Amino acid sequence: MAYISQYQYYENGGVVPEDANWGSYQFISLTDIVNNFLLMYAGNHSLVNNEERYKILFHAKRAIQELNYDAFKEIKVLELTVPDTLRFILPSDYVNWVRVSLYKDGWLRPLTENIQTLSSKAYLQDNTGRILFDQYGNALSPQYSTIDLERLAKTKKSIYLNQGNQYNGQLGWNYDGMWYFEANIGAAYGLNTETANFNPTFNIDRKSGVINFDSSMSGLSCILEYVSDGMEQGDNSLITVNKLFEAYIYAAVEYEILSSKLGVQEYIVARSRKKRKALLSNAKIRISNIHPGRLLMNMRGMDKQIK
Amino acid sequence: MYICKKELMINSVRNAVLSVLNKNNYGYISPSDFNLYAQNAQMEIYEEYFNSYNKVINAENARLSGVDYADMEQPTAEVLEYFLRTDYLTKIAANKFSMPTPATTGYYTYMLLDVKCRPVTLKTGTNTSVVSSQLVDSTATFLSDDISAGDVVTNITTGLVSTVTSVVSNTVLALDSNIFLASANSYGVFSSSTNVQAEKVINNKLTLLVNSNLTQPTNEFPVYALQGSELTFYPTTISNKGQVESTYFRYPAVPKWTYITLTNGEPVFDQSQNDYQDFELPPEDEYKLITRILQYCGVSIRETEVTQFSMAKEQQEQNP
Repeated sequence: MAYISQYQYYENGGVVPEDANWGSYQFISLTDIVNNFLLMYAGNHSLVNNEERYKILFHAKRAIQELNYDAFKEIKVLELTVPDTLRFILPSDYVNWVRVSLYKDGWLRPLTENIQTLSSKAYLQDNTGRILFDQYGNALSPQYSTIDLERLAKTKKSIYLNQGNQYNGQLGWNYDGMWYFEANIGAAYGLNTETANFNPTFNIDRKSGVINFDSSMSGLSCILEYVSDGMEQGDNSLITVNKLFEAYIYAAVEYEILSSKLGVQEYIVARSRKKRKALLSNAKIRISNIHPGRLLMNMRGMDKQIK
Repeated sequence: MYICKKELMINSVRNAVLSVLNKNNYGYISPSDFNLYAQNAQMEIYEEYFNSYNKVINAENARLSGVDYADMEQPTAEVLEYFLRTDYLTKIAANKFSMPTPATTGYYTYMLLDVKCRPVTLKTGTNTSVVSSQLVDSTATFLSDDISAGDVVTNITTGLVSTVTSVVSNTVLALDSNIFLASANSYGVFSSSTNVQAEKVINNKLTLLVNSNLTQPTNEFPVYALQGSELTFYPTTISNKGQVESTYFRYPAVPKWTYITLTNGEPVFDQSQNDYQDFELPPEDEYKLITRILQYCGVSIRETEVTQFSMAKEQQEQNP
């Protein structure tokens, strides 16, 4: 990509959207990566020779995908209101989640993933328990399983210490100024910290592409932080990589090609593997921005007396 | 290296061939026979240049070739580059284009070296009036269509192609040639800033490639497949003349030794004939042409000595 003028950068040359080029200098485009690789690392006098461009494109994209999963730290955030169906449909570019939070009363409450299931598939059965089938031999399913039905009807109980807890609202009695209940949570072995959370809980149904919430989440605002693979819905013109990872991408493509090519000596493959690994480590350290100024705020508390 | 081209080389080659043949009264070949042998000899040597180039590259990789005066690659490359041409490819059907042929570009293609595409269409329309070397469309908004100097304009009706030299106004583009000779011609303006190289893909990989999410052809990475003399491009938006430009090695022109009169039964060389064509190889290939033509002549006049002589010369040259 060509260098642009300051006017192009700040105001996109007077064209809408004005912010199209803001921060663009941090990144290198996929097109540039493939072109540069073909120019600098492939050819008659290079280790990589006689390779189709689409292979280089493939390995470059795979490297970008891998970087997006962890190294980039480019977290996408989506806010949606959870409807009565208690489902949050995963974003179209979702690959994995980082954090699910409830946004309520002006602050974010990170939610806990429910260790039990919140949703299930079901088959229709007759009174002897036999599964019912249609004319094509497929098992018949109800619209909702019992667990789903109860969750949607807000009658499903929860092992978490929230509104759905099985003991929530139970009557107790007061004796000598102390309240006593039938179920004394945590009395014998202490509180189960794994389920000791007041907030709504969720499960991610990856195959169905939804996050299922318990009934206390209905109508509330959910913030999903997630990672994508950086493929920008297949639009190659939008795929970019932070320049700190540029050398790594070249090394990764070179390694992938050399390691799968017939007749390349193992020492050359090993060399390219080491180069790739070293460049990834360097890039990760650089993108982490570990420098004294950043650590200072944390270090200031080190001499604080614990009361 | 190929800057100095010997004039009338074909005549000196023919004189040398006849001289060798007549030395011991081996025989004589007619101008038409000579022309046939000359064509074949030139073609053989032309193809050898590609093999030589490959050998030079291998020698370089084995550190057997140096730089400066020891550079073996440059002379070979420069001979080959003499035969390079760049032309727009002619559209046959939607996203299908013809290989360069005498009918479309004036030359036969030996090998496609590079195929460039301009997949992004900036503007399509119809011209509303005719002004020399201009595209005039009273309904257009060229200024806001992001058109700039260097973009390519095709008269889709006639297939003529030109380049934008400047954007005169919203409705007028100045062009470097006069391609609109009538009004109501369809046109397309294609972006040169998105000029990208198209990759050739072998046909059995094409379906796999198109169906793959990661390698699917796009405007940034277009591909083409070759069947017969037809190039099919993907993405299929590449479908107009002006969008595809090819750099290719053409075949050398067929050499022809021409004459007009016969003096004492001998044809007299005359390079002013319309169909006269000299060899297109550099001067140092003259002796190769002579020995190759002599080989053909030896077979033709059934003189094994001629063939053996020329082959021995060639052998000597290859293994000094």
